[in-house]
Amino acid sequence: MIPTHYFLILSAVLFSIGVCGVLTRKNGITIFMSIELMVNAVNLTFLAYARQFHQLHGLIFVFFVMAIAAAEAAVGLAIFISLFHHKETIDVDEANLMHW
Amino acid sequence: MFEFAIFFFFAAIAVIFALVVVLHRNPVVGALSLVASFFSLAVMYVLLEAPFLAALQVIVYAGAIMVLFLFVIMLLNLQHQEEAPTRPVQQFLGYSSSAAFVLGLVYYIVKYAAFTSLPSGPFKTDAMLIGADLFQAYVFPFEMVSILLLAAIVGALLLSARSVAR
Repeated sequence: MIPTHYFLILSAVLFSIGVCGVLTRKNGITIFMSIELMVNAVNLTFLAYARQFHQLHGLIFVFFVMAIAAAEAAVGLAIFISLFHHKETIDVDEANLMHW
Repeated sequence: MFEFAIFFFFAAIAVIFALVVVLHRNPVVGALSLVASFFSLAVMYVLLEAPFLAALQVIVYAGAIMVLFLFVIMLLNLQHQEEAPTRPVQQFLGYSSSAAFVLGLVYYIVKYAAFTSLPSGPFKTDAMLIGADLFQAYVFPFEMVSILLLAAIVGALLLSARSVAR
């Protein structure tokens, strides 16, 4: 059996790669993909702890996270389509419609 | 030993493709690498004795969500748009803070969460058990998620249909 902290370390690495993408990229879709990467890293942590403590709750939480990530992806990508029609770009620095 | 080999092989694939997502300039390459990363995460789920969620990961994440991403990238023709370079200070701060973050996380995991043993006995996580829990203890959040998905459908339609019609 692979010890739990191997999975936790992998999850930490993937999460930090996602953080790095959000902090350094300007393309809105790439930022969004980095967020998905972070969500998946957290899912991996949930499953690792679910196995560690023999609890089904972690798995069910992962199920909900997947459903909510699907909803989030649908709405977020619709927002990017809308932004693209306004600005002809999805550079997040250009998304300043709410800027006073 | 075989399990460890599989773990390290797919962990390396997941990390390398995640790095491609963050570093590559072309979003199509990024989306396809993210699919590869999600597939190797599905292998991790199998190793964690959750085959049902591994199947969900492949179907929902690598299938549905990433197809949506690719579809939007193709629809907006983003693969030909050059992304403006990030400011060097932002790049430096982003890389160094995420590196510091991962070092801190790994330090605390090794120090405080290094479990030496797993509970004995098999961990049963088949679809029947999950379904029974979902419709008994978690029926309220389950219904809430279904309403949220409906709201997301309506919201996505409203946002994109209005901007296309204009």
